[in-house]
Amino acid sequence: MAGIAAVPEKVTTAPPRKRRRLLSRIPYLVVGFYLLVALLGPLLIDYDPVHTSLEDRLLPPGSETSTGGTAWFGTDGLGRDVLAQIVHGARTSVLIGVSTVAISCLVGVVLGAVAGYVRGGVDAVLARIFDILLAFPAILLAIVIAGAFERSVLLVVVALSATGWITFARVTRGVALSIRERPWVDAARVLGVPGRAILARHVLPFTAGPIVALATLEFALVVLAEAGLSFLGIGLPPSTVSWGQTIANGKEYLEPQWWISTLPGIALSLLIINVGILGDQLTARYRRGRTD
Amino acid sequence: MTKTREYGRSRLLRLAATATATAALLAACSTTSGDDDNGGGTGGSGDVTAAGTYPIESLDPHGAQGASTGTQLAGQEIFSRLVKPDPDGTLKGDLATSWKPNGDVTAWTFTLRDGVRFSDGSPLDADDVLASFQRMISLNGPNAGNFTGSTMKRTSATEVVLSSPAPDASVPGKLGTFYVVPSDVGKDDTAFFNDPVGSGPFTVDGFTPGESLVLVPNKEYRGEKPAPSRVTVRNIPELSARMTALRTGEVDIVWGIPDDQLASLEREKDLTVRTVPSSAEFTMWFNSSTPALKDAKVRRAIWQAVDFKTIISELYPETGKPADAPVTGVVLGHVPQPPVAHDAAAAKAALTDAGFDYSKKLRLQFANAEFRPFIQAVVSDLRKIGVLAEPLEKEQATFTEDLIALKWDINFQQLATPSYDAASNLGRLYTCEANRNGYCNKELDGLLAAAGATADKEERTGLYGRASAIIWRDAVGMYPMSVSIAYAWNNDLKGFVPDASGLPDFAGVRKGGS
Amino acid sequence: MIRMIVQRLLIGVFVMWGAASLIFLIVRAAPGDPATVLLGPDADRGRIDELRATLGLDRSLGAQYLSYLGDVSRLDFGESHRLGRPAMDAVLDRLPATIDLTLTATAIAVIVGLTLGLLAGGRPGGPLDRVVSACTIALQSFPTFWIGIMLVLVFALGLRLLPSSGVGTPQHLVLPAVTLSFPFIAIIARLTRTSIAETMREGYVRTARSKGLTERQVLVGHALRNSLIPVVTVVGVQVGALVGGAVIVENVFAWPGLGSLVVDAVANRDYAVVQGVTLLIAGIVVVLNLMADLLIAQLDPRIRTGAV
Repeated sequence: MAGIAAVPEKVTTAPPRKRRRLLSRIPYLVVGFYLLVALLGPLLIDYDPVHTSLEDRLLPPGSETSTGGTAWFGTDGLGRDVLAQIVHGARTSVLIGVSTVAISCLVGVVLGAVAGYVRGGVDAVLARIFDILLAFPAILLAIVIAGAFERSVLLVVVALSATGWITFARVTRGVALSIRERPWVDAARVLGVPGRAILARHVLPFTAGPIVALATLEFALVVLAEAGLSFLGIGLPPSTVSWGQTIANGKEYLEPQWWISTLPGIALSLLIINVGILGDQLTARYRRGRTD
Repeated sequence: MTKTREYGRSRLLRLAATATATAALLAACSTTSGDDDNGGGTGGSGDVTAAGTYPIESLDPHGAQGASTGTQLAGQEIFSRLVKPDPDGTLKGDLATSWKPNGDVTAWTFTLRDGVRFSDGSPLDADDVLASFQRMISLNGPNAGNFTGSTMKRTSATEVVLSSPAPDASVPGKLGTFYVVPSDVGKDDTAFFNDPVGSGPFTVDGFTPGESLVLVPNKEYRGEKPAPSRVTVRNIPELSARMTALRTGEVDIVWGIPDDQLASLEREKDLTVRTVPSSAEFTMWFNSSTPALKDAKVRRAIWQAVDFKTIISELYPETGKPADAPVTGVVLGHVPQPPVAHDAAAAKAALTDAGFDYSKKLRLQFANAEFRPFIQAVVSDLRKIGVLAEPLEKEQATFTEDLIALKWDINFQQLATPSYDAASNLGRLYTCEANRNGYCNKELDGLLAAAGATADKEERTGLYGRASAIIWRDAVGMYPMSVSIAYAWNNDLKGFVPDASGLPDFAGVRKGGS
Repeated sequence: MIRMIVQRLLIGVFVMWGAASLIFLIVRAAPGDPATVLLGPDADRGRIDELRATLGLDRSLGAQYLSYLGDVSRLDFGESHRLGRPAMDAVLDRLPATIDLTLTATAIAVIVGLTLGLLAGGRPGGPLDRVVSACTIALQSFPTFWIGIMLVLVFALGLRLLPSSGVGTPQHLVLPAVTLSFPFIAIIARLTRTSIAETMREGYVRTARSKGLTERQVLVGHALRNSLIPVVTVVGVQVGALVGGAVIVENVFAWPGLGSLVVDAVANRDYAVVQGVTLLIAGIVVVLNLMADLLIAQLDPRIRTGAV
């Protein structure tokens, strides 16, 4: 999962400013819209994964259902509304994405900062842990973990965090290493400020920029990885709705009943694309802040 | 990029570029070696390609994979058995010309065919049969479990006797998974099974575990020479890829096709689609040792609450049929029982009457994503009368462990009876001693024991019928649906017979014109 | 140089030990065991216990671990009872298919990625640059299996140009390799673009320009070479990820590689095979990283002489 290196730099030949600024807002709007849907959508659109309506199976988008409603995005193999699944799936997928990134970020930043600041033994131990975990392709470790234990949302988060934190730790460690040599940190040390406080007050704030940029990219990867695990049939329990589950459930119907897989797929990809652009913008801003 | 030549350091760059190109080339070439057919799987006219439902991981019919569909499929083409089931389930002699039990059905005598040869030309006699039986027992694979405590004796070069510790009328049926290999094959002879010597219609031309098995006719085969000059059995795990391969002609035969895919295959002019009733039945045991499900009235009410008829006609319009007994129609011992009609109101009333605790969640465990829609439809129906059931999809490993430990309230299995004999289903799973579903009934035990102790078919069917009536009446489980297997094959194949166990034989298959 | 190699090799051995131990613990912490899966739902408790004893699973975890480490140090990777053969044999059987797939995907990714990156980085902010960034983001944004199935529907079922699944000819390799290379193309393209764009502002590039070299000469001769360093590093790291990521592609295209082997092995609790695959992949990653380091040392003399 490591290794999306997204670093577009300063744009030298800028198109008209106003249009650009407007355009660059789009990803914020889209991501905001998704968060809103994930947060409020389930309250507005009712969906019960347990309730099946067999006479409404495999209806194409726009069809009328037996209850008189309209299935704007069609229905799946059990007559459940695809739009409702997308909306409720957004919650699960965002939840998994956010919690995985949060855990990875927390663990990574703390360990990375400590390693970079304290150096010595801690650093050496951490470096070896990195080496070991990096020897596994992330998805492989996730498959082993998710395939071995009882399905749950928590399990998927753990499986995806298992290697997710490394990138955060590496970046933080790098920043901490360079910061600890700065004069104000020395000054604080001489003044007798305890190590923990120096770390929290003088070192960690500098990691915020790159970490936020990294988090957005990591989020995109986690959402995609969840879809992959669902495709392989491991990870989430059947009663949980997520984009990955819905896309994977529809994989057998791709040709005649394209909507089951394709519409949630588009919903997912739109979010990932916008998160990706957002990540690029944040990275660019952070870089500018550093170089200027 | 040729301009780089002007610079000294460009050599490395070129080197890197060449290396990459070579790597790509090598990668492309290494997959071509030894196989030059043009993209599709079916080259010559006598070549048949099939894609089964499960991978073939091993060719050792006695080993750990012995009971798996893939190994069985390979085994029946490569090796011979004493007896084998026809495509419709009737037992037929293979190596044995006749078989008969002793008076109390504790010993079966098999008379062997004379002059059978292995594919390497060496003769096959009672010694090979005996050695194979002992090999199967000592490897302790899943098939050995059918013969716990049984011993085999060689009485002459063409006769063996199989004795079991208790009367067992189902011995011939159970021998349908017992294959004969040469007597000198050791316990861990992995090399032998890379290129096995058997006496079946085919021999192995190439085998890559989990990927493909290539068979060619066995020149020493005693019967009619197999029609195809080459049979390739491929493993295509992803359903949509399997269907695509069939439609593009890369594969000639596919089976185990879900109903939703059948419609689009039936529209293809070049394909024949057939379904055959199998021995598999959707079996949903209740855990009768759970306090909530102790009462037969409660179990029956839950069964009544689910509209299985609608679920089947919507989800399995072609491969499903409401079941009418705990075993399907192709199994010996099948006796139809009165249908359990869907009646939600009556079910609700009966549950309330019996003091059923609606607040308790029932754990409904199953093991395969393929059954998820069915399970969810059942759960949805139960919810309608207020019964909470939680679908628990488990990994095979956990599923089996929990199944045996009775850590479930309702257990879903697609239960097959590969021996086509109720003894290995009812007789084995429903006794008090087996304790597989928490149900215990001395009367049932007596009937099952009696059915196992006589070789008379009619008498056995009668006894299993009475046993089935008890199981049905007490709702030891719900028995919603008997399963048919859907096959689809290219029209230019002649002589293909769909098999009730999902183990089709390719020996009689002819490819158009040739 | 030699010191560096020796040091890296020692770390490599340590990493292999850690990887082996980690997977050993994970698979054994999982509920269910090989005996239950092997004997299936029909088995009774007694037979399962018997098989557990045969497989040595009735011993304490510590005893199993020590004997496993001992075996591995003698290059004995255990027996897969399920497959009836040594685990490493089963793993090595699948290795060629995985190597074919990953090497081809890497080659596609490097060639396409470098070209795209070069085009975009040559004139940052230009229309080409924006088209390329849009492409790279899109390439990474669709689930792999979805792209794979779509490609099958279009090229195998619709146009009948390529086989839909399986192995055999170079044509069989096209769809899986292209599917697998998509996200990788994006990574390399973005990386190349950034470092090219950065290099173009460096002093020596300006010098080269002022010497009268054409823009193309500058790009390929100076900038590309410089940007190869991060690309090589990333390829070293990502090839490992590719082997893992291939699981899904293997599934869609019935490609008999390591990925599908490990998924089956995990589901069947085939400890020896899970351990064998992960150890082999860890080994490949360690070696690739070492090679990438050496290659970088070649590309950048500062590293070779130990200045960094």
